[in-house]
Amino acid sequence: MLKQSRNNKSENIIEVKNARKIYRMGKEKIVAVDDVSFNVKRGEFLCLYGASGSGKSTLLNLMAGIEKLTAGQIMIKGHNIQRMSERGLAKFRQNTLGFVFQSYNLLNSMTALENVELPLVFKHMNRKKRRRLARQMLINVGLGDRLKHKPTEMSGGQQQRVGIARAFVSNPEIVFADEPTGNLDSKTSREVMDLIKGMAKANHQTIVMVTHDKDLAMYADRIIHIRDGRIEKIVDQLAGNTAETAETAEAGGPEENTGQTEQGLEALPAHNPG
Amino acid sequence: MRISDLLRMGLKNLFRRKVRTILTVLGVVIGCLFIIITISIGHGMDRSFEKQVKEYGSLTTITIDTYGAIYDDNGNWVGGQEQKLTKDLVEQIRAMDHVRAVTPVIYIYGRYISGKYESGANIMVMDRSVFEAFEFPELMFGEYPNDEDNSTIVFGYNQPWEFYESNPTSWMNVKYKQVDLQKDKIFFKFDEWRYQRNPRRKEFMLPLTNVAKMVETKAEYDYNAYMDLEYFEKIYMQYCNTLTLDDRKKAMKELDEYQQIMLNVDNIDHVEEVQDKIKEMGYQSNSLMQYLKPTIEASKTLQLIFLFLGAVSMFVSAISIANTMVMSIYERTKEIGIMKVLGCVVKDIRMLFLYEAGMIGFIGGVIGVGFSYLASYLINKYGKPLFGALVNRGGSYLGGTEVAEVSYSIIPLYLPLLGLGISVVVGLLSGYFPARRATKISAIEAIRTEN
Ligand SMILES: Nc1ncnc2c1ncn2[C@@H]1O[C@H](COP(=O)(O)OP(=O)(O)OP(=O)(O)O)[C@@H](O)[C@H]1O
Ligand SMILES: [Mg+2]
Repeated sequence: MLKQSRNNKSENIIEVKNARKIYRMGKEKIVAVDDVSFNVKRGEFLCLYGASGSGKSTLLNLMAGIEKLTAGQIMIKGHNIQRMSERGLAKFRQNTLGFVFQSYNLLNSMTALENVELPLVFKHMNRKKRRRLARQMLINVGLGDRLKHKPTEMSGGQQQRVGIARAFVSNPEIVFADEPTGNLDSKTSREVMDLIKGMAKANHQTIVMVTHDKDLAMYADRIIHIRDGRIEKIVDQLAGNTAETAETAEAGGPEENTGQTEQGLEALPAHNPG
Repeated sequence: MRISDLLRMGLKNLFRRKVRTILTVLGVVIGCLFIIITISIGHGMDRSFEKQVKEYGSLTTITIDTYGAIYDDNGNWVGGQEQKLTKDLVEQIRAMDHVRAVTPVIYIYGRYISGKYESGANIMVMDRSVFEAFEFPELMFGEYPNDEDNSTIVFGYNQPWEFYESNPTSWMNVKYKQVDLQKDKIFFKFDEWRYQRNPRRKEFMLPLTNVAKMVETKAEYDYNAYMDLEYFEKIYMQYCNTLTLDDRKKAMKELDEYQQIMLNVDNIDHVEEVQDKIKEMGYQSNSLMQYLKPTIEASKTLQLIFLFLGAVSMFVSAISIANTMVMSIYERTKEIGIMKVLGCVVKDIRMLFLYEAGMIGFIGGVIGVGFSYLASYLINKYGKPLFGALVNRGGSYLGGTEVAEVSYSIIPLYLPLLGLGISVVVGLLSGYFPARRATKISAIEAIRTEN
């Protein structure tokens, strides 16, 4: 049942409508996300791409319910994520969302295995079962021999693999990843990206990833270009066409867009693990 | 989170910061120890107080002696007076409110004679009607003097003293004899040196045919014998008849005045009131209450001070736990943020910190209980110089014998539970606000902070 519904590509799993986020620093107002609307389809690998400070992370955090909207609406699986109670949101995260962070955000006091187990602990899963799942997950990311290692005893790449194992262990429908390879070298970055994409595609999971790296954006099915808190353009790499929002049509140029699409189509087979 | 996971995670976190946990636990240990020892010393005082009461008689008893010491309001001796204790006075007191029973007391001294052996005799003469009201001990055999037969002499458990040879062949080798009150023939005679016997009369010898014996009380009773007043007057007349004419008159006169009056009041609270009334009549009286009152009050004040110190040390350890928890939350801000993002419900975070704080209290309490048993043992073994004076103050007033086995600190079963309970509650209370603070941490800000 679940797999079937995940296969249903036309369904919008996330709907962002007129999302706006304004930070107030004293008297100054910083508009981090400025009236953004888009949808994410089930099973899609979406990339939020843009320069530093453009508001990608803010948008991601808004979608994950970590950050509160100033205006607008974000629906995940038909639930208004901003309206949820704290407890409801926590339960929702346990069951539906996974997170991969740039700085890994592993608990340094725990072993790799315990870190991966953690989301399942919050779900009241019994020890034996979650141990098995976590171990299998770590084996899947190639860390079968590092189960008992603490994060401080592992390389950045290894730590991020643990982070990925943790994000996917509860088999969430959506995984949010904020610059998952931001602290890694390019080779390791590609390995990590392959891992994420491979896992997501295997389980028909939806990925929303933030990056400022053009090469990494190419892994995505669709790329949303963000500039100054607004959507500059949306590049659908599978269809090979570019949809432009009204306002970005004036700002950006069509030539640039086509170029990116071509690049994306070239790049994709090279890095695709399948 | 499951309870088992909460417990495991909490313990792990405490273990992670060993030194800090140990120091915080130490604070609780000291607080718990202090409270338990304080209360245990209170129990020790109570026990020794009870013991003293048992030893020296009832708290509701008042005595009037032929010599009345006068004290000022602060309990300092300021003088004394001779007091005439007459039949009239006894009747006056009997008529007073709250007086349950009153009796004159005459102490008589003499010898018990059994064949070639003898022993010192000291007998308290009282009105037979008061034995019950004064709650005299039970008897091993025989009966208290009553209206049908008032001739019984009631011996305390250790009475009579051991008999020895009256005229030993050698003073170096005096023989002793174990006398059986019920089988051996025993006589009582008054001390010879007080009055001159009429040489033509036969010496007065009272055969002890009707005797009773009390069970052991570990109190004053054990060392006395008791006789009914009416019976005494009868035998005293017989005795007087054996004296010379001059001494007979003198001896007879002794019956007009008593050596002591003893009375029993219906309630501890009325002891002072009755004593005041007797004072108005011009007589000084004594009661155990009057001596013990300052001791009771002193011990109560002392306990209050101890308890206050215990409370203060618990308060300090509460602050220390709260401080530890705040520190721990501060350090773990990022961790809390990550947990929240990974779907940990707020309740679990609160429970985790409450549990850690409670655990500090619990561990401290357990160790504190252990130490307080040790401390209690040490106090009882070596604490005499410090606690002896405190506990035995009442005894010293009354010239009481030193009790061989004194417990200055007694830990009843409820006390370790109380100590443990207080420790855990202090832990939970001082963990409550930090735990609430932990739940208020915003996930996004927590994740942005550096470790
Ligand atoms: N907590 C905050 N308070 C005030 N301003 C903020 C806050 N978080 C973000 N901003 C501002 O919002 C804007 C968008 O920030 P955001 O972190 O979303 O950028 P980003 O696209 O993720 O950049 P980077 O690629 O460097 O991570 C920035 O101008 C930033 O200064
Ligand atoms: Mg960012």
